[in-house]
Amino acid sequence: MRRIKSFRSLALLLAICMIMALFAGCAKKANPLTIWVGVESVDFYTAKMAEYVENYKAKTGEDFPYEIAVQGVDTGSAASKVLDDIDAGADIFTIAHDNLPKLTAGASAIAPVRSQALLTQIKSDNPQAFLDVIDMNVQGTTYTFGIPYIAQSLILMYNTKYLTKDDVKTWEGIWAAAKKHNMQSVSLTGSDGFNNSFLVLAKNETTNRMPTVLYEDGITENCNFTSDEVVAIMQWGQRFFTGANGAKMPTDSGWEIELRDEISLGVITGAWKFNAAKAALGANLGIATLPSFTLTSEDVKGTNVKAGTVYRSGTFADCKVFVMKKGSDKADYLEDILLFLTSKEVQEQSFIECANLPAYKNAAKEFASMQTDNLETELAARQLDMFDYGIPQPFGTPTSQFYYYSKGAPDLIREILENKDGLFGTTEAIRTQLQKVENIWKTGERE
Amino acid sequence: MDRKKYGISGFFQRIAQPFINFYKRFMDGSIGTKMSHFIMGAGNIYHGQIIKGLIYFLIQVGYVVFMVTCPKVNNTPLGYKAFINFVTLGTQEGDIFTPADNSMLMLLFGVVTFGITLMYLFAYNSSIKSSYKADKDLKNYGKVTTFRHDLKEMFGNRFYIAMLTPATLGAVVFTLLPTLFMILIAFTNFDKERQAGLKLFDWVGLDNFTTFFTNPSGEIAARFLPVLGWTLIWAFFATFLNYYGGILLALLINKKGLKGKVIFRAIFVLTIAIPQFISLLAMRNLIGEYGPLQSFLIKVGIMSEPMSFLANAPNVWIARITIILINLWVGIPYSMLLASGAIMNIPESLYEAARIDGASKFTILRKITMPYIVFITTPYLISSFIGNITSFNIIYLLTGGMPKVTGGYIAGGTDLLVTWLYKLTIDEQQHNLGAVIGILTFLLTSTVTLITYRRSKSYKEEDAFQ
Amino acid sequence: MSEKNENVKVKKIRPNYLNLSSSEKISRLGAYILLIVLCIIWLYPIVWIVLNAFRTEFNPDGTMVGTVVSHYWPKQVGWDNFKILFTNTYFPVWFRNTLVVAVFTCILSTMLNMSVSYVMSKVKFKMRKPFMNIAMVMGLFPGFMSMIAIYYILKALGLTQTLFALILCYSAGAGLGFYVGKGFFDTVPNALIEAARIDGAGEARIFATIILPISKPIIVYTALMSFTGPWMDFIFARVILGEQNTHLHTVAVGLYYMMYGQIVDTSRFTVFAAGCVCVAIPIVALFMYLQKYYIEGSTAGSVKG
Repeated sequence: MRRIKSFRSLALLLAICMIMALFAGCAKKANPLTIWVGVESVDFYTAKMAEYVENYKAKTGEDFPYEIAVQGVDTGSAASKVLDDIDAGADIFTIAHDNLPKLTAGASAIAPVRSQALLTQIKSDNPQAFLDVIDMNVQGTTYTFGIPYIAQSLILMYNTKYLTKDDVKTWEGIWAAAKKHNMQSVSLTGSDGFNNSFLVLAKNETTNRMPTVLYEDGITENCNFTSDEVVAIMQWGQRFFTGANGAKMPTDSGWEIELRDEISLGVITGAWKFNAAKAALGANLGIATLPSFTLTSEDVKGTNVKAGTVYRSGTFADCKVFVMKKGSDKADYLEDILLFLTSKEVQEQSFIECANLPAYKNAAKEFASMQTDNLETELAARQLDMFDYGIPQPFGTPTSQFYYYSKGAPDLIREILENKDGLFGTTEAIRTQLQKVENIWKTGERE
Repeated sequence: MDRKKYGISGFFQRIAQPFINFYKRFMDGSIGTKMSHFIMGAGNIYHGQIIKGLIYFLIQVGYVVFMVTCPKVNNTPLGYKAFINFVTLGTQEGDIFTPADNSMLMLLFGVVTFGITLMYLFAYNSSIKSSYKADKDLKNYGKVTTFRHDLKEMFGNRFYIAMLTPATLGAVVFTLLPTLFMILIAFTNFDKERQAGLKLFDWVGLDNFTTFFTNPSGEIAARFLPVLGWTLIWAFFATFLNYYGGILLALLINKKGLKGKVIFRAIFVLTIAIPQFISLLAMRNLIGEYGPLQSFLIKVGIMSEPMSFLANAPNVWIARITIILINLWVGIPYSMLLASGAIMNIPESLYEAARIDGASKFTILRKITMPYIVFITTPYLISSFIGNITSFNIIYLLTGGMPKVTGGYIAGGTDLLVTWLYKLTIDEQQHNLGAVIGILTFLLTSTVTLITYRRSKSYKEEDAFQ
Repeated sequence: MSEKNENVKVKKIRPNYLNLSSSEKISRLGAYILLIVLCIIWLYPIVWIVLNAFRTEFNPDGTMVGTVVSHYWPKQVGWDNFKILFTNTYFPVWFRNTLVVAVFTCILSTMLNMSVSYVMSKVKFKMRKPFMNIAMVMGLFPGFMSMIAIYYILKALGLTQTLFALILCYSAGAGLGFYVGKGFFDTVPNALIEAARIDGAGEARIFATIILPISKPIIVYTALMSFTGPWMDFIFARVILGEQNTHLHTVAVGLYYMMYGQIVDTSRFTVFAAGCVCVAIPIVALFMYLQKYYIEGSTAGSVKG
């Protein structure tokens, strides 16, 4: 009988616990205005929003009607989270600009910018390249959806113990140093379409023209990846990737360890890996624009390109943009917040505090903080330099953007680079493979 | 019982039975019971079982209110509208200011409303039955049961209903309905170009399956067989190597006269206890190019230069073999524990008898120990084979399905059906293809189960033990 | 069962070491060596994680070397990683969340599982076979396929992004995993229950006073399994709790993002290792302490073959 009693009291206790948990779970939560930013800058934007709320009070004389929650969500996953459940998305969130087509397909998951003040600020302050990619066409009408606030491009981070400033001007200089110290010239952080853009988007130094044509003028069919110049560049790439002490494909251990253990002299990456590179190299970290390379007679074999032609490594020059949730019940307040968050002042402060590269044109000239002489400034300045050698990741229609990424084009390029002899030993073999890549870009299919 | 009703006629008889009963009760029942067919609980109230009647009545009111008012979640209605939406999957295309109908939620809510309706029908039927029973009680005993008596009964003879209800409810809401939903997705064109809430998607019948099988040049179809092949190879090796490895280890640990069994066993149990995401991540870093293992192997001269064994391995098979080896590390302790349990339970008399017959040690091992272990652990073998077909963690955490293969279409060289399915649905939002692969995976596992499990003694002679 | 074990143990102590043949000695020595080698292989990664948790090496410029290094034994040890873990990350919150989820999941799913197992084993009701078949079939679908549907069902109930949702999600389906428990209850003699019924005991009382007390092994096993689940799952928890709600994460999700998320800070590997040690200690302790039940439970479904 005693046992039964204890069983009963236990059951009762459990029931009470569960009911309480149920209430705790169902309790009506306050509904704050939420903003998703990159994980690394949550603190910065929290402080900025506190400032905004104060300004709001000073200006209007009343309290800001909502509580504000700044949360960290990875820029890469924000878009797919919103697509999974539009309702649960933040009122304002940040994405890379190339996610815009996905989010504006069909009836669009995000709201267009309508405030004239914000549109004016966007138009007057951003470079043309960004303005081209933040407008999207929804059911026949073009709207502005994204407000750029961070820019990013690929740069070279290297070990100053082994490389001088002169060495890093050319890949040949780095390669020579690598041979001398028996190390690898450079590590890659991955083998996707972003990482290989240093080859794919290389620019002819003399003509200042990019041999690769990728969705020019926003037209899906406007792609060319099979010209002689591209073949020659690929042959140079083959030599660089397969030769002793050349470039190193990504490994399981990761580039940070290769950098720290002095296996590679440098890494091709962007500002978002700055802290990791600094942790790996400490005081020996140097930053430079991506080097140029010169085609040798071996590289131009089988093409009409002249030996000795110099190319400058290219990059995708991207921007991160803020977007607004469609149908947010706080829509009236969002544009004013964005006007503040993407203003010059805040962008400069975000550069100082989080090393976020401002998206403004002429940022390097206008911002006092970019005139100083330290590594962070170097980082910003070199990224801005790279913008002369890059294009924002383009898209014709939403579909072709998907194709660029997920149908294996980067893998086909990687196959060329890794197989100098044998499989891709002839220009014909390379060209056939490049044709497949081009087809993928155009139609999504290889053939 | 129903045992004799096999075969097709039996099947139809079973289906028809509830309807026959339903008709019978309506004709036989008192006015109250007849009323119960229209207003739930009316019969109970008629017989004076007020509380019971009210409970039934409230269920009906709740259901009707639910169906008529159509409560909205994410702007998508439940209730009767959900049935309409289930058929159309949305009509409102939406534009820049108004949202499109969310076809995915309409499909889901159709399934949910269907589930709720089913439960309501169950309650409806039981209300009639209850009233009918009251009729009979009145006739036979001259009185009806009180609510208190019913409650007592609930914890007495009919206790099993009280025990099963919460579990069944949980399983229906969180497993059955979602699974049904997932199966239905395979018959729609819900893919990344028709994101839920942005663009409508629609029923397409068997199109997904036909493109899957009749279009062998299609990238998905082209990848299916290689992935399936690797899944089977993996499941086979992962299961049997672990199984026999575990038995050998158990024999070694349980060797006669060996000291420190408990400590040895505890060391191996350690790997079971440590969460997989920890031990697998440790492994991944440990065997990386510049991790401690390779630098040790290079130092002692076994390897000449570092190489990638997992996601960046130069050859798919290197990654595959590495995964199978790491899986040995993960899996052997499980089967070792089971086999140890079996070894300890072998009756000593069996050994004595064999020894008296002059059997050698090897013969004893071959004729007594092994058969005994295998006999006891066979069910584990089956379930671990199925577990390996759908094993997710080890691939996802070690390689993420990499290294890439030519024409991979999302599936990498070490992707199993399940990890491929995960990538397709969660990363790529190709929900319809994911669902097709899910169904195919299910067919695979259920075939294995049917062949092995239904033949096993434990299923056929379930009651033989008692 | 336990009695039988005792017998075996008594007999195993018996061998007389003095008159062992030399071949016996060699084979025993070989077994020891082999076992020790195997133990080293099995311990190698585990010890490595523990060593990393305590590794506090510094770069020349004073920053900590938090990445993977190529030497196995740390050159310098200390508590710094744990300090960072408990002061600079949400780890204490994650730990508390996981504990709450694990305790409730454990209670709820053990109750559901035990009641279904018992009914399936001992009550022959009409829908029993179909019920068992459906349960088996549903267990064969890959679990996370229904994740999106579950997410929206929880949302319809107003529960997403709460720990309670996660508890429901982990324990609601527990009833379907009744096969192990049923295997155990099948071995409980029916006579025991019949006798109680004749004495006039109700089913609820039979279950509470007769069945539960003798089911300790299987209850402990089920509880152990459901308690450890929330510490290991990072798939469901990620979706249900939401990436942005760092304060709601469980240890698995938090640590997962630390190492696998898209912004991976590899220089935090030692801190991650410290987190792993903190998670592993309670679970390993539980497993070691309840090892006997774990073995019994794992074999329960199969004893009768």
